[in-house]
Amino acid sequence: MGVMRAIKGHRKALTVIIVLALASPIFGVYLSELVGYHEPLDLAAGLLGLEELTEKITWTPLADYTVPGLPDWLGYAVSGLLGAAVVLALGYLFLKLLK
Amino acid sequence: MHIPDGYLDPVSCTITYLLALVFAFLAVKRAKLEGEERKHLLPVLAAAIFVAQMLNWPLPGGTSLHFLGAALAGILLGPWLGFLTMTLVLLVQTLVFHDGGITTLGANLLNMAVVAVLTGYYVYKALPERFGAARPFLAGWLSVALAGLACGIELGLSAQFLYGLAVTVPVMAGWHAVLGVIEGAATAAVYSYLRGRAPLLTGSR
Repeated sequence: MGVMRAIKGHRKALTVIIVLALASPIFGVYLSELVGYHEPLDLAAGLLGLEELTEKITWTPLADYTVPGLPDWLGYAVSGLLGAAVVLALGYLFLKLLK
Repeated sequence: MHIPDGYLDPVSCTITYLLALVFAFLAVKRAKLEGEERKHLLPVLAAAIFVAQMLNWPLPGGTSLHFLGAALAGILLGPWLGFLTMTLVLLVQTLVFHDGGITTLGANLLNMAVVAVLTGYYVYKALPERFGAARPFLAGWLSVALAGLACGIELGLSAQFLYGLAVTVPVMAGWHAVLGVIEGAATAAVYSYLRGRAPLLTGSR
């Protein structure tokens, strides 16, 4: 099955993915800020007085689902679309290697 | 649940990396034997889980949760393709978005791609069909609870953490046992939807 055929076969799923990515800032940015979101793991680490080693050094310009120069909500949505595209591309590449 | 760099000591990092690599080797070998249809679901399911994980549901008290998707991957694709699906998601999260550390990637894979997927898969498989939606619900719930427990054990055993297992296990396992209820509900909802639309996906496992 070629990539194009595979994409056609999953058109509905891909539509859902795009819609979810576009809607994601509502949850991941707006509502998160509203309640002052923290990961349970970070909370636990905070209690234990532990610091994240690579908080200040990072290997990617897209750290924490932000895009430089874009407001958080837009960066988050772009990150969602971009990330999904990278996952799809790597996934199909991996399937080719699996043969 | 993504452990950042600096939370685990080098020994814990090495051991968890080795375990994840062994599992990855087995998974790639076994995945080759899977059917084409199932294989071709991997990229799409991974992309869907990736975006689903970005939907944080805030909870009162300054925390929130998001769908993990590992149990769903295990139920739909089995343990090997399920592992590879979650691995793909975690690789992109770590390398492209700095969600989880590089030295702790092995541990994160162990928790979310091995423990969570296997738990989801085996709980689903162990329960008889008459349990209906309770199968994916329990699979989702326990997958998150046990992944949280594994995470707590790793942190507790790591010399990097000042507190031992007596603190880390109750904190991580306790939290995720509660959060897992929502994972169960989400897994059951997606499963029920797919069962109606694409029975082949949910039938043969």
